[in-house]
Order: sequence, then C-alpha cells, then structure tokens
Amino acid sequence: MPVITFRMEYLSRLIGKSFSKKKLESEALALGFETERMDDKEVSIEITPNRPDLFTAIGFVRALKYFEHRKTYLGYTLGESSPSFEIFVEKGVERVRPFISAVVARNLELDEDALADLINFSEKFCELYGRRRRKIAMGMHDLSGCTPPFHYGAYGDEKFTPLNATEEASFSEVLNEHEKGVQYGGILGGNATALYPALKDAKGVMALIPIINSERTKISSKTKDMLIDITGTSEYLVGKTADLLASIFMDLGADIERVSVRYPTKSDIFPKAERRYLEIELSRMEQEIGVAIGSGNMISLANKMGYEAAIVGRNMRFSVPPYRLDIINEQDIIEDIAIAYGYDYIAPITVPSIGSGNLSKSSVLFSRVSELMIGLGFSEMLNSYLTNEKANFSEMRIAEDKDYVKIKNPKAESITMVRTWVLPSILRSIGLSRHDRMPQKVFELDLAVMMKGEKPSEEYHLAAAAAGPKVNFNDAKAIAEALLHSLSPSSNILKYEHPSFIEGRCASIALDGKVIGFFGELHPEVLFNAGIEEPTIGMEMNISALLGE
Amino acid sequence: MHRYELAVLNVLKDGKSSSLEGILKKSGIGRDEVLWALENLSARKLVSIERRQSTVAELTEEGSRYLREGLPEELLLRSLKKSGVSVSELSGVSERIGLQWSKRNGFIAISDGIVGITSKGKEALKSGITEAMVLHEIAENPGRYVSISERNREAADNLIHRKLVSLSSKSEITGISLTARGREEAVHASGDEWVESLSKGIISGKGWEGVRFKPYDVGSPVEREYPAIRHPLRRIIDEIKTAYVGMGFSEISGPIVEPSFWVFDSLFVPQDHPAREMQDTFYLSSPERLSVKEREYMKQIGKAHRDSWKGEWEEDIAEQALLRPHMTSVSSRFMHSIIEQIKSGKAEIQLPIKLFTVGRVFRNENLDYKHLADFYQTDGIIIGKDLTVANLFSTLAELYAHIGIKIKFKPAYFPFVEPGVEVFAYSERAKEWLEIGGAGMIRSEITGMPRKRVNVLAWGLGVERDLLLRDQTINSITELYGKGIGWLRQRQVV
Repeated sequence: MPVITFRMEYLSRLIGKSFSKKKLESEALALGFETERMDDKEVSIEITPNRPDLFTAIGFVRALKYFEHRKTYLGYTLGESSPSFEIFVEKGVERVRPFISAVVARNLELDEDALADLINFSEKFCELYGRRRRKIAMGMHDLSGCTPPFHYGAYGDEKFTPLNATEEASFSEVLNEHEKGVQYGGILGGNATALYPALKDAKGVMALIPIINSERTKISSKTKDMLIDITGTSEYLVGKTADLLASIFMDLGADIERVSVRYPTKSDIFPKAERRYLEIELSRMEQEIGVAIGSGNMISLANKMGYEAAIVGRNMRFSVPPYRLDIINEQDIIEDIAIAYGYDYIAPITVPSIGSGNLSKSSVLFSRVSELMIGLGFSEMLNSYLTNEKANFSEMRIAEDKDYVKIKNPKAESITMVRTWVLPSILRSIGLSRHDRMPQKVFELDLAVMMKGEKPSEEYHLAAAAAGPKVNFNDAKAIAEALLHSLSPSSNILKYEHPSFIEGRCASIALDGKVIGFFGELHPEVLFNAGIEEPTIGMEMNISALLGE
Repeated sequence: MHRYELAVLNVLKDGKSSSLEGILKKSGIGRDEVLWALENLSARKLVSIERRQSTVAELTEEGSRYLREGLPEELLLRSLKKSGVSVSELSGVSERIGLQWSKRNGFIAISDGIVGITSKGKEALKSGITEAMVLHEIAENPGRYVSISERNREAADNLIHRKLVSLSSKSEITGISLTARGREEAVHASGDEWVESLSKGIISGKGWEGVRFKPYDVGSPVEREYPAIRHPLRRIIDEIKTAYVGMGFSEISGPIVEPSFWVFDSLFVPQDHPAREMQDTFYLSSPERLSVKEREYMKQIGKAHRDSWKGEWEEDIAEQALLRPHMTSVSSRFMHSIIEQIKSGKAEIQLPIKLFTVGRVFRNENLDYKHLADFYQTDGIIIGKDLTVANLFSTLAELYAHIGIKIKFKPAYFPFVEPGVEVFAYSERAKEWLEIGGAGMIRSEITGMPRKRVNVLAWGLGVERDLLLRDQTINSITELYGKGIGWLRQRQVV
C-alpha cells in the first residue's frame, strides 16, 4: 500500500483553523486511509493505490474539506479556451514511448512546502500509478527557461546538461552512469537502435524521457509559470493525468492554459478537464448499501465525496470531477456513498440460508484420520509446503525427480519447489526436537504435489513418524495395520524397497494393485541428515486415493 | 504396613537368613500371602531375596496318568503272567507302547506271533520296574533333577525321552533376609493394615477388609505425561469450518497451482499491477503455463480489462503458472461456474448460495520472524440477489463471533470489489486494531451480469492471526510452522 508523507506544517496551513491531529487521523480513517506514523513534523498516511489524486497534500486536503462540508463544489473543469502552445510529435517516437500530453500553469505563487509537495507527488505518482515511470511519467519545467516550439520525438545520442549537473552528458552516458538513468533506463529497453525519447524546445533538449529533465528548465519555489509534460504508453491515462495535474494547480491558485499536441496524423488538446456525468437509480444505491438514505441525504453524501449531485426522476446524477481517475462506473460511486455514510453506521442484516451447510468429503475424512492418529498417540505437525531439492530428495537418499513443481523466481535457496511428499517435513521436526523426551510420535496430513505429465497433481498425504530407542519395523507395521483396519480394510501390505528405508525393513500399502503408501524403518543416513539420533519409523500414505481422487 | 508384611518381617527380625519354608512355618500365614508380602517388601528394598536357578523335573500329563494306572509295559507284563498272547490281539495304543518297551527291556520274547514273558520279565514283575519306581520318586519329591539317585538316572532319562517327565528351569528362593533398611523398619513396624499397591488378589479376595491404603504425598514430583495433541492452528481452522457450516455455508476447494487467470485476471487485477510482480508472487518454471479451459470467460474478462484499464491485455500473461497468493482463486472458479448456470437458465438455482474454503496461500516474501512463505487463508462468497453491504458486515461479524473475536470495518480498495472493506480485529496484546482481511461486493465486470440481477459478497481472511489474537502464549505466526514436538508439548489446549 502506498504510504504518502506530508509536512504537518503545510497540511495544517492548507486545512486552516479547524486543524487538529486527532481530527486528521479520524477523518482519514473514515475515508479509508490509515495513519501509519505521525509526529509534529510529518504525517505518513496509507493511500489506496487507486486514488493518485490524494498523493499530494493539495488533493488530500481537498478531500478532507469536502468531507467536512467546508468546501463548495468546484467542477475542476476548464471553459472553452484555445491552447497557448503546441507540441509537435515526431514520427518514430511511437515505437519507443508513443503518447504525450501537457499542462501549462501560470501565475504560480509557490513556496518551499508547495514545491516539495509537487515534487513528492510527481515521484510517487510516476512510481506507483505510472508503474515506475513505464506506463506514465511526468516532467515539470520552468516555462521562463523554454522557447517554443516544442518537439517530442525519438532522437539519436544527443547532449544536454541533466538536472542538478554542471556538465553536459550524452543520452547514452546518462543511461549508463546517471543514478536515474541506471534506475529507469530499462524502460527504453536498452535498445539497439539507440533511439531516445526526448522533449525539445528551440534551445535544445528539455528532458530525456522518462529519465531526467534538463538543468536549464529546472523549477524552484520562485517559478511563476510551469510546463508539465506527461508521457506514457496509455493514451487515455496520459490524458487523464493532465486533468489530475490541472486540478492540483487550480487549487494552488494558478491559471491553467491548454497545450495542443500535434501527432503526424492527428492532434489533441490537453488538459481536457471535461465534465463527466453518471446516473444511478437511487433505490439501487440504497439497496446495495443496505440502508435507507433518501434523496436529500444522498446529495449531501455525494458532496462529502466531492461530487455535485442532482435528482433526475428516479435517478441521481453525479458529476464526476476530472481528477477522479479511479471512477470506472456507477459501482465506484456507490462505494463512495457508503464511505460517506460511514461503515460504522451501516447496521448488519443477516443473510437468510437455504438449507444447511456442509463440510467437503475430504474434510470429513481428514478429521477422522487425524482423530485416529491422535488416538495412536501421534501429535500433529504443521509445515511449509515449500522446500528444496536437497531436503525433498537427496537428504532422503532419492535421486532427483525431473517432474515436480519448480519455482521460477526463488528468493532463498531453502525454497525452490513444492514438496512431493510430506515425510521429510516431519522428520525435520523430529530432528529439531531431538533433545526433547523420547519417544516422539508425530504426523502431518496435508498437501504434496507431483507432476503427472504437464499437469500438477495435488494429493493429500498422511505422513507419520515415531522415534525412540526401542522403535522398529514391527511398530510401523502395527500402526499401518491399525490405520488400514479403519481406513482401507481391502488394502494389502507387501514387501517393498524404498531408498529412504533400510533394505528389507520396508513395506508398501497397496490398494487394487496400486501402491498408495509405504512405511518402514528409516535408513540411518536419512536420520543423520535430519539430525535425528534415535531409530525412527516413518510412513507416507496418499489419503486422496481413499477418496477415489 | 500390611499385616502379612509385618508377619514376614517379624520372622526375619532376628537378622538371620531364612528359607521360604522357614517363613511359611513361623509366620503362620499361607504361601500366596507370604509371596505377596515378600514381593512388596522387596520392591521397597526392605528384604533381599536370594534366588537360584535350577533344573526341575516334573511329571507330564501322560506321566501322571501312568503313575495312577501303571506303565504300559507293566500292564502288559501283568496280562502275560498266565499264558502267551498273540501279537495280533495287542492292537490298542497302550498295548502297542507296552509291547515296544517290554521288548526293548527284554521282558518278553515273541515267537511265531505269540508273546511270552521272559525270566527278566518275571523278575521285573516281582520286584517292580525301575522306571515306575523313578516315576513315583519324582512325583513324591517334585524338584531338582540332580537329586535323582545315580542308579536311577538312566531310567529317569528314559522317562524324559518318553515325555513322561519334563525338565524346566525354575527360579527358586534360597534365602530371605532383611536389608539394612528392613532391619530399621522392623523395629518400628506397627501392625497397621497399610496396603501399598492394590492388586488383583486384594480385589478378588476381598483383601481390602480391615486394611488401610497407604496415602501418597500429593506434593512429590511425578514424571510428566504428554498427550498427543492436534496442532493449535488446525483446531482453529476446524472451529472456523464449524462456524461456516452452522451459518449455512458449504465447503469448496481448489488447486494451489493456478494459471494467473484465476488468481489475477478473473479478479480484475490489471496485468501491470504491482501485486503481480515477481517479487511478490511465486511463478513456476514447471509447469510454466497452465491453459484456461473456460475460453469464453477468458475473452469476456480480457475485454473488461481492456475497457476499464485502458491498456493491453494478453492471454499469455493470464496463463502463466503460479502458486496462488490468496484463496480468492477458488471463490472465482466456483463463482464463474455458478454464474454460468444462472445465465444459461437451464437449472433452477436457489439463491443465495453460500460457499467457503480454507487453504494454503503463498507469498514470495523475504522470510523473517514475521513473514512466512505459505500460510492459511479462508475465503467465502455469497451469491444472491439484492445482497447488501449490511449483509456482508453481518456475515463477517457472526463468523468472528463464533471464534470469539470482535471486528470492525474500514473502507479499502481491492480491484475486484466495490465497495471494498478491510476487516480489523482488536488485539488485547498490541492494544490496537489489526488488519485481518479484506471483503467487498464483487464487480459486475467479473460476473458479466448486472448487479441488479446477481450480486456477490466476497471476503478473504487470515487464519494465523486469529489464533494469535486468542492465544497469548504464541508470539509470532512463524512459530506455528516447522516446529518440533517440544513446542507442541508446551501448548495449552483450552
């Protein structure tokens, strides 16, 4: 979950007189955002990833003010206005990073707090919502340092002075040597064609996209006019991000100007910041939430969440602000109404049942088998299904099987596969407790996974082991017989050889001619590997086979 | 001390060693009682008993019969006293045995089929057959083989050979004396009727009458017993299952190895969502891909993704094999098949349908004391008409009430539900509300049906944390897995 940190001083200044830390925390929670940490200087809040409009203090305070009914509805839309700049998109860039939009904000009055909030927003947004800049990235430029016309294209290896650098560097040098180049260069695929997406003005390179801006267009708290470029792989989201940015600058008191983006075969204007309406039946909303709200209250709840709402016949018409990138359809608005109503105030209503519930066939069998094992004096173990080849095969004196469920991206040597049997797990348990009093009798009834051809086959296995100075094959056989008497009387116990067991001290459990299990005295090498110091018997049996699975 | 024990102790009080017979004579109590008393006294190390292993000769059943009726050869000789008898007349078993042994000992002679007694036979008849005499000797004096006189030894061996006498090894008490402790006790021993350990003899022989049972020191330590127990996590899982069933839910299950489709795509998780990334999910190299049989459904979901997330959507990514990171894949599979049945309208399906599952899920975490790579989750769904958020809250509150945990709800975001809910439980230990799961109302993009016709409530909840909330002796979820029996032996069941 994204955690966004705001400066407390800035936040309280934006909220105004009514600010209190306690209220901040409780209102954030009512909206669904937990406060992770709070002191006098900073507050860190978990914002759900679908709400990038709240990744800035500006947007967050906007939501709080609506929630407190302290803000009148502002559409965040733009009237008819002609674009003040053009960005020419050059042929070829569609192969590297196809889409661009932009916003111009004029007459800004920033301070250090506001600047830090903007930069922080840009970082978090591109990281999380922009999928580490792959899907969307943005760059903020001081317009006073720029000279139109603007061009967006894929260029060869050109030179510019990267942000915060004193010397020029080529695109390829930035990718190989600059911190951001190393971090995000992968997005450009380290392409052999050596085409670099860049934004240029009449003076040259403004930004190597989506890596780093130029020092020339660097913004500061003194910046009055700003150009923000937004690039990415999704035309829709690149456009919506311009709307979101426009809303932030509107709240900062700036004047928004539009930019025309001219592709070789079409053109577009950003930010669009259009009004969007969704109509929902009032009764439908009340029905899904499970409370009677009424149309008057419904409008008030809608306003709390930043919507303008009106009654149209039996429907409510919601005007969705352009910065709400998460609103796909009416379902998303119903959630907002439920949040505004307050989850704590929704009174529970029981769902009637038709008939009674039941356990699965296997659950019933498993609890009976476990009962038998407890009756035989075995305690129940619980182990991870994940293991490695050494523990599953070689320490059990088994030649590695080719077909088993293998993990592609293991993080630790101890976890590289899904166990194909359960006995190794419980032997390790005994090894761990070898200094506890003997005899020790343990079992585990759980999943083991094998590959049957191309498909995994998931089976429930019963594994049992008993360790102690007097334990021998006959004990294992007695336990097996006791189990089979209840579970599978038609099974046979036959002579068997298995590398984990001492030769001549192992037997199989066969049902209808198929081996469904085996038991015996474990080989001393297996015990040594497991750290067990006493003779030990073991058993493994496929319980799923008893269910005819 | 029991009076039998006291009687034996009194005989031995003079400090001399005594034989068993000596004690029997002087104590005035029966043989069984003396032996019982000796056993108790010796167990308490008050007397020491010396024993000797010796070989004892005893009559077998056949031997005892011959003792009463006479040896077969003796009977034969008696019958031959007057006149010769034809061999063919001697056809009984006993007669044949008699014939055999008489012939071997030269008591008879056979000519032309007629059996005649010899002079040796007559002599034997007069003075008695040696074997018969030895039989009497052993019968009257059961005991040691070595005490049989030298001249009778051959006859005795014959009897052993004929299985009329058997030899066995017996332990024999040769001497009984007091130990140092016994001498001390004997001075103070009173005639109280203390019974130390109850025995079959005391119970069936009404030996309890007029006696008292020696009390135990309740405070003294005993060797610890460890019951075989079920794993505490399994127990809470069983409780959860019972709670579900009581609320009308039926159990379902599904595979742990899944194509991404059921885990992510069918739950509306965008293909570029961070949760899908390698560092969080276990992807597999074997099997690397698993095909999705539900082709039509996959197309529907693919379209919903492209429409809603405004990006690419590839079947290839949806068929990557992985270990399920949550149980909602199981819910998703069943939800799809039930929705299909509803859509087809073929069978009359009664709503609501309530389903639950409990199973293992996997996260590719960096393992530490707080994180496990696999653990349990429970998922539930209710498929019905006109279900509400209020219904969802009621169901979850009731479920947790069954296992004694109080919960509350908070808004949350999950791509496949809207509204989304996070479930919190109060931890007495941490003195704060802890997140224990997520829930919500399934998006119509997933069911492919307007919520007006069918809607689905769904949730996924942790299980380990429930146990930690209840059992203050367990400190971390990592304690629950891969531990030895020592950990289990410390657990409290209630």
